[in-house]
This record gives sequence, C-alpha cells and structure tokens, in this order.
Amino acid sequence: MAPSAQIVINRVNHLYRPQHGRDVLALDQVSLEVGNREFVALLGPSGCGKSTLLYLIGGFLPVETGTILIDGKKVTGPGPDRGIVFQHFALFPWKTVRGNILYGLERQGMPKAEREKRTMDFIELVGLAGFEDSYPSQLSGGMKQRTAIARTLAIDPKILLMDEPFGALDAQTRGLMQSELLRIWQRTPKTVIFVTHDVQEAVYLADRVAVMSARPGRIKTIVETKFDKDNRDILKSKLFVEKVDEIWNLVKEEAIKAQQKRSFSQEAEP
Amino acid sequence: MAGVVVSDRPNGLPEKAARAAYTLFWAGARVFSIVLLLAAWEILARSGTFTPFQLPAFSRVLARIWDDALSGDLAINSALTLYRALTGFLIAAVGGVMLGMAMSRNTLARWFFDPIISVGFPMPKIAFLPVVMLWLGVFDISKITMIVFDAIFPVVAATVIAIQGVERELIWSARNMGARDSELLWQIILPAALPTIMTGLQVALPLSLIVAVVTEMLMGGYGLGGAMMTASRFANSTAVFAGIVEIAVVGYVLIKGMALVRRRLLIWHQEAAAPYTQ
Amino acid sequence: MNETGNALLRYLPLVLLAIAWEAVSRFGLVSSSALPSLSDVVRAWIDLVKDGELITNGLASLYRAAAGLALSIALGSVLGIFMAWWRPVNVLISPIVEIFYPLPKSALIPVTVIWLGFGDGSKILLIFLGCMLPVTIGAFNGARSSEQVLVWSARCMGASRLRTLWDVVLPSAMPELLNGIRTALALSFILLVSSELIVAQKGFGFLIGFLGANGNYDAMYAVVLTVAFLGFAADRIYLLITERALAWRAS
Repeated sequence: MAPSAQIVINRVNHLYRPQHGRDVLALDQVSLEVGNREFVALLGPSGCGKSTLLYLIGGFLPVETGTILIDGKKVTGPGPDRGIVFQHFALFPWKTVRGNILYGLERQGMPKAEREKRTMDFIELVGLAGFEDSYPSQLSGGMKQRTAIARTLAIDPKILLMDEPFGALDAQTRGLMQSELLRIWQRTPKTVIFVTHDVQEAVYLADRVAVMSARPGRIKTIVETKFDKDNRDILKSKLFVEKVDEIWNLVKEEAIKAQQKRSFSQEAEP
Repeated sequence: MAGVVVSDRPNGLPEKAARAAYTLFWAGARVFSIVLLLAAWEILARSGTFTPFQLPAFSRVLARIWDDALSGDLAINSALTLYRALTGFLIAAVGGVMLGMAMSRNTLARWFFDPIISVGFPMPKIAFLPVVMLWLGVFDISKITMIVFDAIFPVVAATVIAIQGVERELIWSARNMGARDSELLWQIILPAALPTIMTGLQVALPLSLIVAVVTEMLMGGYGLGGAMMTASRFANSTAVFAGIVEIAVVGYVLIKGMALVRRRLLIWHQEAAAPYTQ
Repeated sequence: MNETGNALLRYLPLVLLAIAWEAVSRFGLVSSSALPSLSDVVRAWIDLVKDGELITNGLASLYRAAAGLALSIALGSVLGIFMAWWRPVNVLISPIVEIFYPLPKSALIPVTVIWLGFGDGSKILLIFLGCMLPVTIGAFNGARSSEQVLVWSARCMGASRLRTLWDVVLPSAMPELLNGIRTALALSFILLVSSELIVAQKGFGFLIGFLGANGNYDAMYAVVLTVAFLGFAADRIYLLITERALAWRAS
C-alpha cells in the first residue's frame, strides 16, 4: 500500500439515530486504506454497515467520529469526484436515458456540443445505442443499471462507489453485468469501492476484499483476491473456489450473528 | 420508520424516560401549533386591526357556542344536519354498493351506468339543486335526495374498482374448495373488496355533510347551515364564526368516527389508515 | 369496431336517456313545468346565448373560479413542497391542515361574504381557501414520496441542496400534485355554484336562481346543464393535458 493512499478511513464510527426508537451503532472504529485505481469490495452480512460506510465516503452522511480523507482532504459533502451507483438504479424516471446522463454534465457546466457528444459516447460504451430516448420505465433491469453506470461514469469521477449494483438483477444478467463492469473498468480505470453480500462476486471483481463483521460493523479481515479477470473460466478454477470458500467461512460466522439480532429496522440496509 | 432495535446501550430508567419525553415533545409540538393559532386569533381580534364584526374574538365565539349549547339550539341544529347527512349517506352507501355490485356482475348494467358515472363524477352536481327543489319542494326530502345524488358516485366507483380488483387467485381457490356463487359473493368477494369500498365511503361521508350544509344554506330554516344563513342575514358575525366552529367539530367527529369504523372492520387487513396521514 | 364506433357505443346510454327525456315530456307523462322537454331546453339555451345572458354570467363565473384556483395552485404547491422539505414548516402547518380538512368548505360561504361582500372577492376567496387543501396535500404527499437516492444522485453530480428541490423533489411530486389539482378543479366548480346559488348578483348560480324564481324553467334547465357539462369538460381537458406531462410513467 502506498504511504499516502487515495482514500484513508481512520477509526470511523457511525451512530444511526432513527426518529422513533433508540440510537444504533452502525459502524465501530472502521479503518481502511484504498490506493489509487484499486478495486476493493466491502463484503458482509445484511445490516453490517457496508452501505453506510459507502455513504460516508460519498459524503451523503456526515462523518462524526473519526476521519475520512480523499487525497489528504477531509470529506465534507457529496461531489462529482465520488460517483455513486445504487442498487435500485436511482434513475430520474421523468428523464430519458440521454436526459439522465446529460444531467451531471449540465451541472458541471459543460458546453452543449461537448455534453451531447460525451453522452452519446457513454451510451455506446455501455451498449445502449438506440435507447437514448427511452424512459427508464421502458427499460429492463440490466439496461437501467447500464444507464446508471453510464450516468455516473460520464462525470468522470476519480472514485466509483457501487452499492450492490447488481443485487436487483436476475442471476444471468448479473453475470453479464459483472463482465461488462470489468471491461469498462479496464478501459477507464478508476478506484472502485464495491459493496456486496455475494462472496463469489466480490472475489471475482475485486483486488482486495474487506470482510465486515455483523453490526456494529468492523473490518474483520482483508483478503487479497487478485485473479485474471479477463477469463470467466477462472470462476471454476481450484484456486478461485478455495478463495471463495475461505472468505465464505469468514462471512458465515458474521451472517449467523446478524440473524440473531432482533432487528426490525427499515432503514436502507447498511 | 420502525421501532424496536436492540442497541448496544442499556435499557434502564433514564432511557425510558428519555423516550417518553421525546414522544411527549412531538405530541406537544402539534398541539402547540393549534394553541398558537387560537392565541393569534384572539390577539388579532382584540388588537383592533379588524372590527369586531370582521373578526370576533375567539373568546366571544366560544361564549356564543356555549349559549347555543345551553339553549338547546346547538343540539337541535346539529341533530338535524346530522340526520339529513347520515340518512343521505346511508342511502347512498347501500344503494351505491348494490349498484356497484350489479355493474360488476351484469354487462348490461355496466354498459348503461358506466358513462353516467364517469360523466357525472366531475360535474358540480349541486347545480341540480334548483331542479330537485322544483320537483320535490323545500323540505328534507329534497335535501336528502341531493345528498344521495352527490354521495352515491364515489361509492359506486369505489365498489366497481374494488370488486374488479379482487385477486383472481382468491376466487379460483374458493371455487376450488366448492363455494357456490352466493357464498363466493358474500364470503369472499365482498370482504376482499371491503377496504376499497370503505375508502369510497370515507369520501362519501364528508361529502354528505358538505351537501347537507349547502342545501340548508339555500333553503334556510333549521340545521347548522340554515342557522348560519340566518345569522349572516342578521349580520351577526359572532354567530357565523360560531357556526363554522360547530360544523368543523361535527365534520371532525364524523371523519374520526369513520376512521374508527374502518379500523374495526378491517382489523385483519394490513393497510395504512385514512387518506391523509402525517 | 373502430375508435369512433367504440366511443359512440360507450356514450349511447346518455343518448338513450336524452331520447327518453324528450319522449317523457312530449307524451305528457310529467307536468311540463317540472320537466320541460329537451327541445324546449335547447331552444331556451340558444336564446340565452343570443341575448348574451349566458355568456356574461358565464364569464363572470369562470373568472372567479379561475382566479381562486390559480391562487390556490400557486400557493398550495409551494406550501406543500416546503412542508415536506423542512420539518419545522411541517410541524407548524400540518395541524392547521388537519383541522381544516374535515371542515365542509361550503361553511365558509357566509364568512367570505362578511369579509368581502356579495361580489367577486368573496367567491374568489372561498374558492382559494377551499382549493388550497387538496393542492397542498397533493404537493406534500408527492414531495414526500421523492426518493433519497435520487436526491443523493443529483448531489453527487454537482447539484446544490436548493437545486435538488427543483430538479428532483418537484418532478417527483408531480403525479400526486397534478392529482390534487384535479380534485381542486372539481371542488372549484362546486364552491362556485354553491356560493352563487346562495348569494350573488351575477354568475351561473345567480342566473339559475333568477330564472327559477321567475318560473323560466326551460332556461333554468339550460343553464344547469351548461354548468354541469362545463365541469365535466374541464376535468376531461385537464386529464388530456396532464397525461402528456406524465408520459414517462410505467407504460
């Protein structure tokens, strides 16, 4: 790890304060460093705080205890340097595919001709040429997610935050989207922080997997998972399967603990 | 957002007290707003910005309501208005549900009444009041007829939608288990349709009150609406304001009563309560 | 069957009713004063248009309704959205909304007359007050339904907090807001006619009362049907316009 990593998370706590009911400690002394252009997965059972950590990095939630530094500067709010992709796409339903992607570019103040061209480039990059004037309600799940990814990539963030982006897709589409993501990532490499609860997905996509404990979330272990991602057959290789097994055992204990907590909280699952 | 989460903190007396205070605070905040409004009314009325005619003080209005209550006028007028509104409502409710049921099961009835309902719905049916008065005179019967005419529309519309909306799977399961047509209707379809029908009834009830008040205003005489018109003709603004408060209370009681009935009847149904909730 | 054919079949019952009406009065089944024949009513309608009575009163009425409605839409939508956006505004205003919700707005007719007399002012005030409620509630519920992740997405793309109000909250609120306005539209007609029947010197309601008092029942029926039809037409036109604005919804 480079001495000054791009993202430095240092002993961050997060207290969730619901309107009714008691406060909950979602994250407990979480520390993590992520280097430039690394692909890191946050893996853990439901409720472990992995999405919360992502939102803190993104600046959507305030960091109250501990610090998060991006290139040495504290995070104070959301910004186009950290693009986010959500599980349920979060597309503006009243805008077309083109409109959704243009939005960020408009906010950046990019001149019209340039925005239009860049939008079309990204539409082609994610394979949605021909659908630019469709509304989200007319698209399939996979297409919506590709639009969401294009929208975020278009503003050229240094860091890509992904919150279980393929969780809402069926198994077949998920596999295709994983390969798509890697293809795009190899063309325009960025730092990626990828939240998931799917062990195989984490091991396949990421360079390192940070396994989180059940709530309150801590980083339990970090495992190196650099594999040759160009080849999907790697998923069947002995080394890969063993790695998945190793990590699955780490997660399993936490998943059981998470089940045992009587929690009816309905917040966006951390 | 939901309730009990096992946190890592102890659940002793201080925590419980804190939560109680928290709930009280928010309940208090709502009452506070109303008290603020009433206080503002009182202060504004006394400040002389408006004449006592334009804005009688809340205390005077309250005194007038008290007088009305003591003299029995309040009871008589409220009872009359409620009688008309509720009679009209009940006729509209029963008639509306039956018509809605007929429309769901009989294609001819459906074809005949559908345009009548859909064209009639957005019409200001109150415009027909002079016609009704022409036919039926200036007595209760024309008031109640007008109420039925107005209130039956949301009931029919809701019933048709409700019955259509009953999941096919429910009906198929029931038939599978040997239910006959009449059993199917009363034991399966109506209970399943009840939530939506109730929503239609919850629209029809305040509507009945509105029409009752308007018809009373036009025709005069007794009743909350009639009393307000009399007060207005005598330029008695205190009595007019008192009337508004009285009608508002009646309206509030009706709506809350309906919500209660809904909760009792639909105790088995997991659903949010009335149309407007916080 | 083609589209026009379908529409004709759908509204055929109304045509049948019209025919039945004409038949019933022609054959003297009902006294002609209580129920003038449809043809008499049509003739009276044409006369009213010709001598300008219908138009003058109609315009007066429509002006009042439009003014009251426009004001309530402008204020109500802003209020509703801010109630959803800022908690203090919500805490302050929603008890007031809850109190006025069960009040039959027609009960406000005498008060508006006390404040603003018999003319346009009282009607516009009445319609404004009455229509504020459905618009505010629609705007409030609509704004509340806007999703957090949409606001976050906009923020991370560079929109300021204020900007997201315009870019995300308002479009999200549109469906419910437009529905609330539809309710307000119908309500405006009801309050207009009610108040004009009871106390007015011009307008549709006044005209109906005037003609009725003079025993001019054909003309009275003509105006009643005109108002009823206008209410219906306004609703349909509104739906047509708003359907286009909401074309992005699930197809």
